[in-house]
Amino acid sequence: MTGDRPLGLVLLEMILLVLLGPLVTGAIQKLKARLQCRQGADVLQPYRDLAKLLRKGTVQADTASGFFRSIPVLVLAATVAAGALVPVLRAGPSAFPLGDALMLLGLLALARFLTAVGALDAGGAFGGMGASREMTIAPLVEPVLMMVVFSTALAAGTTELGALAAHRGTSWIFAWSAADFLGFAAMLVLLPAETGRIPVDNPDTHLELTMLHEGMLLEHSGPGLGCMLLASHTRQIVTLGLVAALFFPVGPADGIGAADLLLGAGAFAAKILVLATYLALVESSYAKLRLFRVPQYLGIGFVCALTALALRIL
Amino acid sequence: MSAETIQTIIDDLGALLLFTMILIVAASQISRAIYAVAAQSLFIAIAGAVLATATGNVDLWVIAGVTLAVKATLLPWVLHWVVRRMNVRREVEPVIPIAATLVLAVAVVVMSFHLSASLGSVRQAITGNALPVGIALTLTGVLVMATRKTALSQMVGLFASENGIFFTAMAVTQGMPLIIEIGVILDVILAALVMTIMVLRVRSTVDADIAELDRLRG
Repeated sequence: MTGDRPLGLVLLEMILLVLLGPLVTGAIQKLKARLQCRQGADVLQPYRDLAKLLRKGTVQADTASGFFRSIPVLVLAATVAAGALVPVLRAGPSAFPLGDALMLLGLLALARFLTAVGALDAGGAFGGMGASREMTIAPLVEPVLMMVVFSTALAAGTTELGALAAHRGTSWIFAWSAADFLGFAAMLVLLPAETGRIPVDNPDTHLELTMLHEGMLLEHSGPGLGCMLLASHTRQIVTLGLVAALFFPVGPADGIGAADLLLGAGAFAAKILVLATYLALVESSYAKLRLFRVPQYLGIGFVCALTALALRIL
Repeated sequence: MSAETIQTIIDDLGALLLFTMILIVAASQISRAIYAVAAQSLFIAIAGAVLATATGNVDLWVIAGVTLAVKATLLPWVLHWVVRRMNVRREVEPVIPIAATLVLAVAVVVMSFHLSASLGSVRQAITGNALPVGIALTLTGVLVMATRKTALSQMVGLFASENGIFFTAMAVTQGMPLIIEIGVILDVILAALVMTIMVLRVRSTVDADIAELDRLRG
């Protein structure tokens, strides 16, 4: 089987995503702080948090079962595996059987499910509430994500992300068809929900009224909490990478040399930076929505995605 | 510019028009709906300019300019002024939940694409997706008018509906006679004026919005 992305490249990209995940979170937090006229923590702060957590001991609730300890590792594994499916440096189909976009969404859903199960397992009130809320939001987000993927996949005739990105080519917004605009609009609506940010979720607070994702992490501690945090950083960059692969050009598939890979890396950094800036801007300019208003907000994304699909098919 | 380029640009603008329409339907605050309808008029003006460069029709340039000045600038400003003047009820008050309206809007969009596909030869003569998009905009505007209680939100729906008709007319005819377009624009200005005065009068006389005016008193 021939392809443009050998195993080594895929592994390199996966490791790169995991290493850069906390940096994106740090950059968003720094940008947000600057937008709010604060000095803000250093961009590298998420790395320091992770290093601190990994050195600490673990405390566990008496009510938690033995399964609870393995939850963080499983969540991290599922998220990192999803990261392997995102083309970062170079577009084109992989050289060996690798999952497609549906696999990626499935792995992210699995990570979400495991997080919720872990929160329920510990038996804390906040964990259960966070899990129930997360599971209320998830069925609204995931189908829309799938529809956006489908609307792009219909044009390319494949759901494999590398091939999708290759089909997008190196041309920019000028090559977008009408459906791409609506799909991208749907994606912009969904991004804050999928990355757990305002206006759907608030990553900065532990106030019980506002938290979704944070609520589920309360019972974890030490290295386990570190794993969960790293998983959520990775999840964020994987989602951004998915958007970048679906709508922005990735490095050319035929380039082999190191220069092309460097170009691809630079392009990826630029794309992620643009999307991170968008997230920071949204987070600074909107208030968090009431939980019962969230379906209406996500409804905009749903309608956009459905219209994009209709434009493709009809 | 080649015909395919024009068609692609009109299609893309059609998608953006649909997006602004979705924003209008989903807006829970009246001022956001006004911004969305202003953006929609801006896209219409851009579409007019694109068609003008494509056909070399000078009338279309005038129409694009007038649309930009009147519908994208003046009318939203008037609407904002009325909102400030009334000073209460910043939120739109839907008759049925906004989520339900969104579902209906999707149905309208899908139906207009599906039905206009059956027009066959008529659709071939029209640039890109302009016909289904125009129909969808018009009908969704009517939907917005039908599902809102306050007069201001209904005005926003009317303008959106009018935008849809304007877009279709522009794409179908590649530029109507200037006098007709000017007449349409004047009609819109007049309608906005009359409705503005009416809304303010009703408010100052009976301190209620038009949804409560449902009984005749002798």
